[in-house]
Amino acid sequence: MVSAMESTEVRQQLLAAERGAAAPYIDYPPTPWWYFPSIGLWVAAMIGTFTWWRENAALFVGSMVILIVLEIAFVTWMRRRHGALPVPGKGTPPPEIAAVWRVYALTLSVIVLVVALGWWLGGVPVAAGLAFVLVTGGLVGYERRYARAAAAVRSRLA
Amino acid sequence: MIDGLDPIIHVPKRLAAMAILANAPDVSFRFLKDHLRLSDSDLSKQMSTLEAAGYVTANKDGRGRGASTTYRMTKDGRKAYEAHCAALRALLDGLPSTG
Repeated sequence: MVSAMESTEVRQQLLAAERGAAAPYIDYPPTPWWYFPSIGLWVAAMIGTFTWWRENAALFVGSMVILIVLEIAFVTWMRRRHGALPVPGKGTPPPEIAAVWRVYALTLSVIVLVVALGWWLGGVPVAAGLAFVLVTGGLVGYERRYARAAAAVRSRLA
Repeated sequence: MIDGLDPIIHVPKRLAAMAILANAPDVSFRFLKDHLRLSDSDLSKQMSTLEAAGYVTANKDGRGRGASTTYRMTKDGRKAYEAHCAALRALLDGLPSTG
């Protein structure tokens, strides 16, 4: 049988665990203004490298390598800056955050389809332009939804 | 100590640290310190206990003032943390409502 004192302790332990589990998702530094266009530009550049796909293999591979190195450097910087950067599939996000991530995955699928359609109809320059606009705009929208969800989690666990 | 609970994780500071570590691939000393509101020495002590139990590993980058320490939860740590939380929930499910 669990005593009243122990029951209070159990509830406090579970709340401490829930607050701790939520911390990596809701305690994060402000996102710099240049983050959104930079990622949009990076995706557009990735697509843009396909201009050299058949014409110049060395330029194509070289550009890809530079962009991948930039991405690795950026993610490393993000992880250090955040201190506990959560990664999908590793851990259990609060339900409010999980809902935002589901919308993100769905939006990403739509963006991929629209960019692929643009590529098919207008070639690499159209696809790269679409990617820049849609990725930058999509990330701005995602950031706003994420901030609202994080505020809701903070309020629930306060 | 309530039956079924891990005595190492049961300490609130260590439970909160394990909860954070269960939700990020690696966690910096600074993040843990800021979130748990502990002094450097207290946090080091708590993390050393988790390390000695085989629940976390520590990784040091650099030397001197620029050095940083990050922690990562081990498989044993994850198992122990999940079992501890399951035991807590089972206990709570067996409790009468406080309404």
